[in-house]
Amino acid sequence: MFLQLLINGLIAGAIYALVASGFSLIYSICKFVHFAHGAVIAVAAYILYALFSLLGMNFWLAVILTIILISIFGSVMNLIYKQLRKRKASNVILLIASFALLILIESLILLFFGADVKTIGFIKIAKGLEILGAIITPLQIFIVISSFILFALLFFLMKRTKIGKAMRAVSDNKDVAEIVGISSERIYMWAFIIGSAIAGIGGILIALEQNLEPMMGTHLIIKGFTAAIIGGIGNIPGAILGAFLLGFSENFGIWFLPSGYKDAIAFVILFIFLLFRPQGILGIRKK
Amino acid sequence: MFSAYFIHLLILVGIYVILAISLQLAVGFTGLLNLGHIAFYCVGAYTSALLALAGFPFWFAFLSAGIMAMLFGFLLSIPTNKLKGDYLALATLGFSFVIYAVALNWTGLTRGPLGLPGIPRPSLAGFVFSNNFSFLILTFVIGLISYLIIKRIIASPFGKVLEAVRDDELATKVLGKNTFKIKTYALGISAFFAGIAGSLYAHYITFIDPSSFTLLQLIPVLTIVIIGGLASLKGTVIASIILVLLPEPLRFIGFPSSIVGPARQIIYALLLLLILIYKPKGFSGKVKLE
Repeated sequence: MFLQLLINGLIAGAIYALVASGFSLIYSICKFVHFAHGAVIAVAAYILYALFSLLGMNFWLAVILTIILISIFGSVMNLIYKQLRKRKASNVILLIASFALLILIESLILLFFGADVKTIGFIKIAKGLEILGAIITPLQIFIVISSFILFALLFFLMKRTKIGKAMRAVSDNKDVAEIVGISSERIYMWAFIIGSAIAGIGGILIALEQNLEPMMGTHLIIKGFTAAIIGGIGNIPGAILGAFLLGFSENFGIWFLPSGYKDAIAFVILFIFLLFRPQGILGIRKK
Repeated sequence: MFSAYFIHLLILVGIYVILAISLQLAVGFTGLLNLGHIAFYCVGAYTSALLALAGFPFWFAFLSAGIMAMLFGFLLSIPTNKLKGDYLALATLGFSFVIYAVALNWTGLTRGPLGLPGIPRPSLAGFVFSNNFSFLILTFVIGLISYLIIKRIIASPFGKVLEAVRDDELATKVLGKNTFKIKTYALGISAFFAGIAGSLYAHYITFIDPSSFTLLQLIPVLTIVIIGGLASLKGTVIASIILVLLPEPLRFIGFPSSIVGPARQIIYALLLLLILIYKPKGFSGKVKLE
């Protein structure tokens, strides 16, 4: 039982981390809450569904195309935010706008694809492997491993590449970064492209594991931002750490509470952090 | 004279007016961006429905709905008092998810997803508001009283302090005002009116389930508050009337409800987005969203 909950927590954590890392990346650079990130994930899942299940495209080709399309989608979204930034909109306005975008995109999905649940039947339901009495499917192992590879790549990107360094510069101090010749608008665009690509990969993996439904983005982003706040908002390693913490505490929480309370557990943790440590685990309190 | 459907719409307008002006009190006048307003509406609806189903008279259930929501308002205010802007929005949003999860899962009390059917229509002093026209009058009277009370609050010295908290909390503290208490009262009063709106809704539809209290329900209210203009009560009322009626022609053109539902949300979300880009103060707003 313990091991099973541990594994379930690990899988949930990996999925939340896929959501939280892109969300946190965008927050750290653009400094606002991008709720519509959840919708980006949902759109990626539905693009894969349309290309693979409806059009019958080769799976790997569909995956690559989905990631490209979703990056473009993310940058289009940035153009909408750019209109707001140009008019000196405050963070709160951007937050409400992202909220409106989330509902807008989900309603569009509902309009085009209908409310019924969709599945992508690429991987046949395999018999779970049994490890010391706990069951895990090969797909779930694949999700956990590929999310770890993705996080390593993201880490490398942020620490070692030129664009990553420029991103961190803008994140740290936008004005100084602009003085040394980094265009902050260009960096915002990159943040959205990379963040959305991560969301796309997350969307693909989630689409393989779970069913698709129009509101999936909302459920995911709720967990994503909770994880990001627990870990320290705007701190990408923190967000990943927070995501796993959230995954574990939700799954161990079912020991005491009915499983429907999973979401409530997430929010109780969110409240505790907002109350006692609003900067999160790895965050630094700003004066 | 009035067609039945039009009366139905006007009742919804009345409920939305109460919801929107109460949210306006928190967001526009006190500067608390509360995204958990629907949770108070939910608490009010369930409180009133459960009491009425247990045999209590309508007026008692109705007032209890407001008071229970107010208590939740105080409760939410304690942890969120120090928070501002983004963080406050996220925390209040989180609060609304907790309430939703409880409504969905505490099946012993709320019957969870099955909902509560058979909520009695309101009755006062032997008169039952069973037809929609009489219910419309009841909604109108309650809406008007709510409007006048909130208007009175805003014009009072307390209302001026609320606006001072919104504009500069530190300065208000320096003047010796206890901003913690003031913000708590503001959120409590705002929640009270959301609670009675919930009560009206429950007794009008006579059936409630958790799906009536999700994020999707927040978007129209938030759109009304922002389009009407922050810190403008009149603007909020006018925006409520226009926005509730706006998507209705879709239904008359003859689209099926599977299209009308999402289309309504698309209209509200698009309007919200456009107003934020082109007119972030709304049509008669006095302050900017900070």
